[in-house]
Amino acid sequence: MRTQQNIEQFGYRQELRRGVGLTDLVFYGLALMLPIAPFAIFGTVYQASGGMPALAYLVGMVALLFTAASYAQMVKAFPLSGSVYNYAGRGIAPPVGFLTGWMVLLDYILVPCLLYLVASVAMNDSVPAVPVWAWLVGFVIVNTLINLFGIRMTVRLTRLMIVFELVVLALFLAAGVWALLQGKGNGFSLSPLFDAGAFSWPVVFAAVSVAVLSFLGFDGISMLVEESTGGSAQVGRAMRLALVLAGVLFIVQVWVAALLVPDPAGLMERAGDTAFYDAAAVAGGEWLRHVTSFATALSWGLANTMVAQVAVSRLLYAMARDRQLPSFLAKVSVKHSVPANAIVLICLLSMGVGVWMSTRDDGVTLLTSLINMGAMVAFIVLHVSVVVHYSLRSRSRRWWAHLVSPLAGAGILVFVVVNANVLAQALGLVWLGLGALALVTLYALGRPPALTGMAGPGPDRP
Amino acid sequence: MNRLPLHHDLYVLAHDQAGRPLIHQSSLALGLAGAALLDRLPAGSDPPPEARSLIKQVAANAVYERTRRGLLDTGVLVGVRGRRMGMLPYTRYELADIASAVRASSGVRSAVEGWKPADARSAGLCGLVAVLRLEAELYLDEPAARLVSRLRQIAATAGPPIGGLVAIVETLIAEAAVAVYR
Repeated sequence: MRTQQNIEQFGYRQELRRGVGLTDLVFYGLALMLPIAPFAIFGTVYQASGGMPALAYLVGMVALLFTAASYAQMVKAFPLSGSVYNYAGRGIAPPVGFLTGWMVLLDYILVPCLLYLVASVAMNDSVPAVPVWAWLVGFVIVNTLINLFGIRMTVRLTRLMIVFELVVLALFLAAGVWALLQGKGNGFSLSPLFDAGAFSWPVVFAAVSVAVLSFLGFDGISMLVEESTGGSAQVGRAMRLALVLAGVLFIVQVWVAALLVPDPAGLMERAGDTAFYDAAAVAGGEWLRHVTSFATALSWGLANTMVAQVAVSRLLYAMARDRQLPSFLAKVSVKHSVPANAIVLICLLSMGVGVWMSTRDDGVTLLTSLINMGAMVAFIVLHVSVVVHYSLRSRSRRWWAHLVSPLAGAGILVFVVVNANVLAQALGLVWLGLGALALVTLYALGRPPALTGMAGPGPDRP
Repeated sequence: MNRLPLHHDLYVLAHDQAGRPLIHQSSLALGLAGAALLDRLPAGSDPPPEARSLIKQVAANAVYERTRRGLLDTGVLVGVRGRRMGMLPYTRYELADIASAVRASSGVRSAVEGWKPADARSAGLCGLVAVLRLEAELYLDEPAARLVSRLRQIAATAGPPIGGLVAIVETLIAEAAVAVYR
């Protein structure tokens, strides 16, 4: 083969790059999701679910397992491009891809902002003398500098963070179970999973619409498909594994926390952003409050924002390269090998929106709902693209994988979206309307959406 | 005058006098891999379909260290040992003769200034200098933006495989900048 000779002429042996294996794919998914993610939104989920947060996480996990199955199908069909934006554009049609990308953008652009806000709320809980907005500005500045200098998460750092978070989680669970055995809290019961008095499907789905935030990020595993040693099949497996692992951890921790809530009736009336830390204080005392809030600040405010920043720059880059966003977002700094323009844009947005949201009582809840709205609409389109690509276009006869499973997954998510926060629905629709306007503008300018693909072969730059 | 391989010239252009790289290693490695491939491809042929994966593979396989070793072997670079603050040992790889920096860029400079038409080799280097943003190292008295577009134009009009290969390198540099792990 000529290629082989060519490589050997260079003096290189044909070696495959050191790839990323199954464990590291799962770890990466966990790093994006955070094993301790429910710490930050526990109060809201508890309130929305009528005291059944474990059920909300269980239903959320099942819903997203369908999403993971559809991801696995699309990764198989388009192994080189790694986002719903690409799958919808290729699987259905470029304009649908644009609108989906636009909805995902709502999710990806606001995620860093929420991460900063949650980390700042957590730090403010530990050090109340410094206001939330000041912590937020600090986090944004530190992170932007880290990103601009080109410092990235490495495989090893990802593992370290996961281990650290699991240790904190184990501490909380051990202290929590011990406290319950000592008769503290509200005693053991099944009510966090199922409470016949409070149960109704709209309540559960409304809670899922918040809880689903903790799972977002598992889809980021698809970005590593080129590096995966086992190709697209391994990516699908890693997504499922990461989801189930995270789901079990989430259910267990919110169950224990729900049993320890100091004032259940009060929390049901008014969701607090620090509800989990209050429960931790009941379990182990003030030191555990500080450990859990500090772990949240560190993992949300520093580790996860580094990962989220990469995810959003990739999406901005892919869309800008397809000339669906301003081209300056596709420019990178060769000198530092970072997408400098995208980093600065996200810094400014996070600073502005973050400070504004820190002044609102429902800031965390509102951001969460908006992010989830963007993600869930995108996931619904993902399911549709599986049906269109396989069942309609390729006339696949694998009914379960290519028709029933995606339709079931889409159905559940539609229920969740319908029952979500009304303000989030309205803002989501406004955003979608703006996207439609942008799409019309693109057509008017004579540049209808066309995909070159994140990793399409050959010269594909103008 | 014996010419260096293209990726050796690029290495020389991409370092300052003290041997420090002027751009990020991952960008530079992709540029070096692209240059090495460009040297091997016959003029007039389109880049092979596997060019993209080939460049990625070569870049990941220590192309930077290999290029440096090649330059040390031919005596273009010399290793200079020293200690930071009298303690931490380091080795710097400096040019043995400053003239090699001038030689490395001479083809590109004469192409830009229009003294003589660019041959395939210089045109390729023009394209790589443009995408690696090394135009300041040419020491030409021209605004950067105009210089870069002139360099790009030379590469684009040089015929295959240069334009295509330079575009692939540029795409890969951008993708490396948004890569999850690197």
